[in-house]
Amino acid sequence: MRAHPDIRPTRWTALAALLTTSVLLTACGSGGGGSDSGGGQARSGGTLTFAVGSDAGCVDPQQVASNDTIYSVRQIVDSLTDQDPATGKIVPWLAKSWDISSDATTFTFHLRSGVTFSDGSKLTAQVVKDNFDAVPKLGALGTLAEGYLSGVKSTTVVDPLTVKVTFQQPNAQFLQATSTHSLGIESSASAKKSPQEKCSQGVVGSGPFVLKQYVQNQSITLAKRTGYAWGSSRWTKSGEAYLDKVVFKVVPEAGVRAGSLQSGQVDAISSVGKANEAALKGGQVTLQRRANPGVVFGLAFNNSRPVLKDARVRQAIGFAIDRKQIADTVFPTGTQPATSILAHTTPDYADLSSDLTTDAAKAKSLLDAAGWKAGSDGIRTKDGKKLSLTVDWIPNSATNQPALELIQQQLKAVGVGLTLKQVQVTQLTPTLQSGDYDAVWSNVTRADPDILRSSFSTELANFYRLPTTPLDTALTGQAATTDATKRSQLVEQAQQLIVRNAYDVPVVELQTQIGVAKKVHNLNFDASSRIQLHDTWIG
Amino acid sequence: MRRYAIKRLAQAVGVLWAAYTVSFLVLDFLPGDPVTAMASAGMDSGTVDPAQLAALRHEYGFDKPILVQYADYLGRAVRGDFGDSVSTGRPVSSTLADALPQTLQLTGAALLLAVLLGGGLAVVATYTSRRWLRQLLLSLPPLGVSVPTFWVGLLLVESFSFRLHWFPAFGNDGLRGLVLPALTLAIPTGAQVAQVLAKSLLTALDQAYVETARAKGAGRWRVHLRHALRNASLPALTVVGLLVGQLIAGSVVVETVFSRDGLGRVTAAAVTAQDIPLVQGVVVFGALIFVLTNLLVDLVYPLLDPRIVVASGRKAVAV
Amino acid sequence: MSQGLVDDTAADAALGLARPVEPGPGSSGTARRVDARRVLRFVVRRPGLLLSVLVLVLVVLASFWPGLFTSRDPLAGVPSQNFRGPSGAHWFGTDELGRDVFSRVVHGAQLSLKATLIAVAVAFVVGSLIGLIAGFVGRWIDDVLMRFVDVLLSIPALFLSLALVTALGYGTVKVAVAVGIASVASFARVTRAEVLRVRQAVFVEASRSCGARWYSVLGRHVLPNAAGPVIVLATLDFGSSILAVSALSFLGYGAPPPAPEWGTLISDGRNYLANAWWLTALPGLAIAATVLATNRIARALDGEWSRQS
Repeated sequence: MRAHPDIRPTRWTALAALLTTSVLLTACGSGGGGSDSGGGQARSGGTLTFAVGSDAGCVDPQQVASNDTIYSVRQIVDSLTDQDPATGKIVPWLAKSWDISSDATTFTFHLRSGVTFSDGSKLTAQVVKDNFDAVPKLGALGTLAEGYLSGVKSTTVVDPLTVKVTFQQPNAQFLQATSTHSLGIESSASAKKSPQEKCSQGVVGSGPFVLKQYVQNQSITLAKRTGYAWGSSRWTKSGEAYLDKVVFKVVPEAGVRAGSLQSGQVDAISSVGKANEAALKGGQVTLQRRANPGVVFGLAFNNSRPVLKDARVRQAIGFAIDRKQIADTVFPTGTQPATSILAHTTPDYADLSSDLTTDAAKAKSLLDAAGWKAGSDGIRTKDGKKLSLTVDWIPNSATNQPALELIQQQLKAVGVGLTLKQVQVTQLTPTLQSGDYDAVWSNVTRADPDILRSSFSTELANFYRLPTTPLDTALTGQAATTDATKRSQLVEQAQQLIVRNAYDVPVVELQTQIGVAKKVHNLNFDASSRIQLHDTWIG
Repeated sequence: MRRYAIKRLAQAVGVLWAAYTVSFLVLDFLPGDPVTAMASAGMDSGTVDPAQLAALRHEYGFDKPILVQYADYLGRAVRGDFGDSVSTGRPVSSTLADALPQTLQLTGAALLLAVLLGGGLAVVATYTSRRWLRQLLLSLPPLGVSVPTFWVGLLLVESFSFRLHWFPAFGNDGLRGLVLPALTLAIPTGAQVAQVLAKSLLTALDQAYVETARAKGAGRWRVHLRHALRNASLPALTVVGLLVGQLIAGSVVVETVFSRDGLGRVTAAAVTAQDIPLVQGVVVFGALIFVLTNLLVDLVYPLLDPRIVVASGRKAVAV
Repeated sequence: MSQGLVDDTAADAALGLARPVEPGPGSSGTARRVDARRVLRFVVRRPGLLLSVLVLVLVVLASFWPGLFTSRDPLAGVPSQNFRGPSGAHWFGTDELGRDVFSRVVHGAQLSLKATLIAVAVAFVVGSLIGLIAGFVGRWIDDVLMRFVDVLLSIPALFLSLALVTALGYGTVKVAVAVGIASVASFARVTRAEVLRVRQAVFVEASRSCGARWYSVLGRHVLPNAAGPVIVLATLDFGSSILAVSALSFLGYGAPPPAPEWGTLISDGRNYLANAWWLTALPGLAIAATVLATNRIARALDGEWSRQS
């Protein structure tokens, strides 16, 4: 079964339509989703216990980028818009409608009335302005959100329920960005707090759940927001959520998570790798999977390191990796090896599989040409220096370590040493920021190709320290154009430049696989393969 | 008695002060630069932004002379302020205080189990006249101290949680969730209790008063429990301080195995994040527990054994 | 070659065995000669001890010549053959990447044993030195050193090791040093007690009064006679150090992957507890067997040998 239809055509027709007209949609559930909606009458109440593998050390949706924590903090905030996972279409949520100027520089949102935050304050245009004004100052952790708003000229209050966001250049990705958790709307009071305070104390949102308790590295507890009545137009249930309480427990070991789901101690678990599929299949558990759009998992290089400045070394590493072996051995069934820097479910994905082949002979000759000669212990050397790299990785998924150990073996076969260094989830961003790393094992989920600009443009964070090249032109160009065909061409060009120069060696697509007890219904993925719990019920 | 108590109290404070100093030396002094360690958290080499380092150094007072730093820190520590955790920004003292109840529950249950199982084993092994049973029982404690706790914990999870579904595999939920972790933690400690108690029971059974009791016609079981055990358990009391320290430290491994909230897991996370103030807080807290338990044992001991009161009382007067 | 090693080990053990009970030249009792036959008889009467010696010999062999036990690569396997249960082809099964777990345990012995030896050596050298100085010099130096030792004892060993790991960083050797320093205190105490005991012995007093230099008294009389209990302690410490080192590598402070340290093997296996029990159970068995063996040998060195005339 292809659970993840290519969403390109519909999504882009939709956007094209959105660019010229104001769309007003009344609430209509799309009903699409993973878990079955059958099994009797939906009922309110109960506690859902969800075991996740890691904690990002932060409970501010605008700053969290790690899936395990997004699962919980996403529920605290609403966004201006929502994205249909089946069609990619942008639909109303806090904004009941919007207008986009024909050059895609001005976005005017008409807010729903009667929305309140859990501290009692009302949703107004000013609140949205406070949020969007604060986002660019979030600092290192808020890179994603900052990227979405990069080039913003001003956010202005037109009237109490109308807010206008103006950009310096056309910003085609912005509408989709407003549907993400990163631009979730927080109360004015929260938006005005410092990024650190928001991280440690949490934020006040208008979402279907409120943050009850956060114990770092241990648990996040959410409670139902009573009186909630402004759900996304996509959701089936109107009004409050079904569940009274949701507890996210941090259980680092995939094996323990799997066993606890089987024994009924928890109702759902994140990040099920291939190893635990067999044990979970059948019985009282459903495995739900969905491919994540965005930048695939791969070795993102620090392109300013002397060794890695040589494109031949980076390319050789790319040819040494056997992507299929890694996808088949470690990742959930159905996971696809990378065929571009973007996952195949991302709009404007281009198939570059002919550039991403496994060819050890080619890898060796590239390294020979670069002057790296075979050493006595199997690791190549040049001028007495070993060709040995360190890859930093975070333990947010059970598949990371085995995948990297396989890569380690594959690279060793061509004479490249790879050391694995585990860093804490909270430490990854500071590491990227400091530049003290050779490579990181990373991916970024987003249902818009502009994620390439967030990741690889030298004008933004430029964590991977790319030099200024024509890639920048392509990345900036695709964000600024309103012509869907032209954008598609530029995005393809950018993918080619990244893959062929091997600034980042794509390895495998992320396919989110969660295990859910059969008694849990409607635990559905959103467009970014994260979960939405408003419609979820236990029966 | 009062002078004895005061003297023991003064000693306890001295040990605590010294433990703090040792932790200060190890953590703030040994690596040369705790700030680089903090900023590069767990990496071997740190090439972190120098300006950022300087700012951090100033924030934590590391730019002052070492003795000044020490005096500063000690002054605050005396008031219970161990600074703020580097990774969470919360005060160390409240982080520890929040985590403590869960760990006390765990270690308390483990201590109880250890005493019951270890003590029971020692009593039965020394009581029974069946050679094979004695041999069998006495071979268990050496086994108990030889198995890695984390391994035992995982085996218990594998069998009792995953296969039999009797107990939860992780978490802090109620009494059922306490069984497996407490048992895991109790095994090495119980084995030690059994070893110490069996040895002193055997010694006690050779003593004259046991003979006397027997001669007076007391039953075997009665002699064993009332006379021998009572006297034999006194020496065992002296190792309680050591065992409690071990249990608290053992919670690091056990809470990790069972993903339980508590002091141990806070400690493991602090070490991983190179959260120096938090680790220091834990070390001093460990010493505090040790010192308090020993103090308690020392003060209770004379009440249980009249001979000791006289001896130590005399000593105290003489000094 | 292995035969030679067995003999060496036995002889070493015998030397160690003899010392603790060998009375000094001046104290009561007669010097006993160690002969191989007696050692053999002693051991054969205790099948448990025999087994322990055998286990330890195997572990030592594995750590120096892993090739004797397995020809499989501990670092690379056949990914398509992952998660195979224990069988004739793979005694301990295969792991998530199709690597042979038995081979990983065998090669892991090297890392874990090396770490343990470093830990014991650190504890032995530093601890004995402190104890020796305290016991031999006496006076205020004794007081200061012993108060310091008391303080070390008041901090739970694991906490002290964790503090040191925090300061030093991760890695096999750093973990080993951290574990070693945490057990310095007990060595210092035992050494001091022994030095004091021997110092007061008649023959030492005698040689001092005869005008012997302090270093000759130390070297000729005090050291050889105080060594026994310290060696017993070292053997005991060996077992607890294996446990401490593997606990720290279980917690993730040891060598980075793919190094097959014993504790790391178990910690990695945790991810597959629900589908591959052998990944945790069997490496743990290796640790337990090794610790049990060394503890049994320590017990023999300590008690039974001395009771046997």
